[in-house]
Amino acid sequence: MSTILYQPPADPALLSQPPQRPWRHKPRSFTTAVALAVIVPAVITAALFFLSPIPGAIVLVVVYFPLQLLASGIAAWATRGVRGIADSVIIVNAIGATVFSFVVLASLIGSLIVRGLRALSAHFVYQNSVYISPSTPLDYGGIGHALIGTILVVAVATAVAVPIGIATAIYITEVRGRAVPYVRFFVQAMSGVPSVVAGLFILTIAVSTGWFSQNAFAGGLAYAILMLPTVARTAEEVLKLIPDELRTGALALGSTRARTVMRVVLPAAKTGIITAILLGIARVIGETAPLLLAAGNNDGTVLNPFGQAIASIPVYIFNNVAVPYPDAVARAWGAALVLMILIAVLFTVARFLGRGRVGRAK
Amino acid sequence: MSTAEFEEVAMMESDLLAPRAIAVSELRAENVSVWFGKRKVLENVNIDFPKNTVTALIGPSGCGKSTFIRTLNRLHELIPGAALAGSVLYEGKDIYSSDIDPVHIRLQIGMVFQKPNPFPSMTIRGNVLSGLKLSGMKRDNHDDIVEQTLTAAGLWNEVKDRLNHAAGDLSGGQQQRLVIARALAVQPSVLLMDEPCSALDPASTLKIEETIRQLSKEVTIVIVTHNMQQAVRVADNTAFFLAQEGEPGHIVEQGLTTDIFGQPQDQRTLDYVNGRFG
Amino acid sequence: MAGVRTCGPLASISLGQHPVMANPDLDQRDLHSAATSHRGDRVFSRVVTGAAFASLVVLAGIAIFLGIQAVYAFQTEGLAFIFSTGWDINTDPPTAGIWGMLYGSVLLAVIGLAIAVPVALMLSIFMVFISPPKLATVLTNLIDLLAAIPSVIIGLWAFYILNPPAEEWQALLNQYLGWIPIFENTSQNFSGTPFIAGLVLAIMMIPIITSISREVLSRTPPELVNAAEALGCSLWTMLRFVALPYGRGGIVGGVMLGLGRALGETIAVFFVLKLTFETNWYHIIESGGGSIATLIVSRFGEVSGPEELNLLLAAGFFLFLGTIAVNMVANLIVSRTGRLKK
Repeated sequence: MSTILYQPPADPALLSQPPQRPWRHKPRSFTTAVALAVIVPAVITAALFFLSPIPGAIVLVVVYFPLQLLASGIAAWATRGVRGIADSVIIVNAIGATVFSFVVLASLIGSLIVRGLRALSAHFVYQNSVYISPSTPLDYGGIGHALIGTILVVAVATAVAVPIGIATAIYITEVRGRAVPYVRFFVQAMSGVPSVVAGLFILTIAVSTGWFSQNAFAGGLAYAILMLPTVARTAEEVLKLIPDELRTGALALGSTRARTVMRVVLPAAKTGIITAILLGIARVIGETAPLLLAAGNNDGTVLNPFGQAIASIPVYIFNNVAVPYPDAVARAWGAALVLMILIAVLFTVARFLGRGRVGRAK
Repeated sequence: MSTAEFEEVAMMESDLLAPRAIAVSELRAENVSVWFGKRKVLENVNIDFPKNTVTALIGPSGCGKSTFIRTLNRLHELIPGAALAGSVLYEGKDIYSSDIDPVHIRLQIGMVFQKPNPFPSMTIRGNVLSGLKLSGMKRDNHDDIVEQTLTAAGLWNEVKDRLNHAAGDLSGGQQQRLVIARALAVQPSVLLMDEPCSALDPASTLKIEETIRQLSKEVTIVIVTHNMQQAVRVADNTAFFLAQEGEPGHIVEQGLTTDIFGQPQDQRTLDYVNGRFG
Repeated sequence: MAGVRTCGPLASISLGQHPVMANPDLDQRDLHSAATSHRGDRVFSRVVTGAAFASLVVLAGIAIFLGIQAVYAFQTEGLAFIFSTGWDINTDPPTAGIWGMLYGSVLLAVIGLAIAVPVALMLSIFMVFISPPKLATVLTNLIDLLAAIPSVIIGLWAFYILNPPAEEWQALLNQYLGWIPIFENTSQNFSGTPFIAGLVLAIMMIPIITSISREVLSRTPPELVNAAEALGCSLWTMLRFVALPYGRGGIVGGVMLGLGRALGETIAVFFVLKLTFETNWYHIIESGGGSIATLIVSRFGEVSGPEELNLLLAAGFFLFLGTIAVNMVANLIVSRTGRLKK
């Protein structure tokens, strides 16, 4: 008896079979079971929704979800036996959680856009709130002063947090001293500081030393506390991606450590560092509590960061919520929309830069 | 006697002589072609795995042997982009027909992987019984199952006093035998092994080969191996896979191990088994 | 580095950046300092080291400055500061007890976790094991978007959009399930309840917990998943015996990080919770509750004098202690299980 050699099949159809996915063909019983499991609860719920006096959204959730669980469980039991029930429970719950999150997000973004657009106009962006009271119609007044305030506060925060954050990252990746695990521990701990505590801290210093009072500078310091961990950690990741050959090459040419870092490593990591900064800004720009405490509020435009209390977008929103005048509330939504757009822009630019960096870092 | 009659008698005689022809086919692949997305990786594989035999699949790396055995227990379809054509018959029925539960198939056709993968969070005993828990099989003789499978895997004497120890403490060879016991606990009739010894030292390898020979009295075994001496040592039948550059792989030649290694018909088979490439 | 998210609002809590769970091999590079011999380098090194300790300085500063205030509070109020409730500024010195606030913060966090953890876990299971890959990517971006929304905007939305239906739901809950103690409500006022505040906190915690759980679950070793599949597992048994045991530590760590955020959350809670000084122990759909962070912000505007301000600062000190403690425990859990898995 000898071996069998390969022979292409005689039937040409077999020779050129197309690729198939037979595992996707479910038996009729399976598809009917799934269809029933989806349709029946929906029908029952719709019937209750239209016929009963219980308010709508509640019925949908309280009635539909358990019905769906039950129906899917039965369908699973009929097609796969007892083993399938646990799976169907998980799948229904997982889909439910996804839908829930999606609904919440849609509601948030949708309301921002719909309600915010009402107040949004050209003058909204550059006028301030002097002479504006909550009942003033939307044709007057705006967030110009708040925008400037936010910009000043963020500028101070960036000026403080970025050098320190990058220095921290340099310490961890370049200097690599013995205290690296402690530094990372403290940076991690610092990221857990609540924003209100940061504001309180700066306020305490201001009040007890009398060096400064509520102003953009104080607010910026409070922001810096919150921004530092983000900048430091992102910068650390970025610096770690820079290949060692760059460093050893520079050192071999006689460069000092300091010059290697400043002239070679940091420029190579430029886009990543900018990403770190943008992410840090995006993280703090919406924080209200620190500014409530450390920067206060002002209806007028303030340009001196070391001067008096200053407005900012989050505080502007804060002051216009729960006010019984619809125009004031509309202003709050408008400012919220502007803030969200700013944040979205920051993240988009950071992500865009991040993609480019991944391509170039090698 | 005419030539035709002579040939007929010769065929009947050779049928009587060839033990393989008498053994019942348990698992058979018919015209199996396999794709990943648009790329065809296997072409028209036809092979029989008779009951209670050991079949070795040999060939250079990358020619689709591992992919092929994953079509035999329906693990292939779990990879995104997977597609196939043809049929795999288990006890005469196509395992890909829509009324067959893939879980049921995987219980009948078990698998041992190249890297020993016992569950690190479970004890030795827990690992052996994990197949029952994962598939929902109910058995009440757990202690018997643990002892029988570990004995069949050749591990019982070494671990009988420490069944409640963590599985991660075992050596590589022991872990692989534990994995074999785990696969046996769900009572498969076929065991697929994807290079089970390639991550192990020679001593463990020999122990596992011994286990394979013993197991084949009860279980049909299909083993993918790079080690040709191993194929000679354990396998009744051998199939030689090859993929030319850019082409899908296919079985060049298959038959009794003694024939494949002793008198192969194809030059490529001869070259491969003599170590001239691969 | 697999799993590192350097973009997006959740970048700061990616496991890839965690001090221990990040890849340690990169730290073994052996370029260490012959360079300190050069004078300029020594200066550079000192400056950088000094700056790196800024975080330590700031943390110590917070602890000291606020801690001094806490000492002051104990001097004037004694232990009653922590264990009694009430805020009376008319007496001299003012009497204050923040127990209601301390307890309230914890209650809100618990309610938030009770909602957020199941949702986040299910969401991450969906993204890793059930959904098609493209949908998973979309969902990841949506979760990132949710994480990026500042709390003042969530508070704004909650006040105007979440409140009305939430009050309806609570009324119904009280109507049908009011015999259960936690759903009792005597005043029939369903606004400003711990439940709503907890729900808002949950919405803010879900992105954090989901992101970490998703990362951890997607790192389940594929060979273990293969082994389970070859043994005929179902989705549930695979989760129960392979994926969840593996991911347990990371998920718990993620939950604790979310908890830390919830304890410190101020503004969103401010809009939806009615602050009362009487401790609301378990009537979660009854109007009124406590939160330390919200106390600070709400009393700050009308502070009557330096004594009251000092009491607020003392309250802030306890908030600081609590959040730092939770954070440290979270890191301990994550790093310990991370090491075991290696």
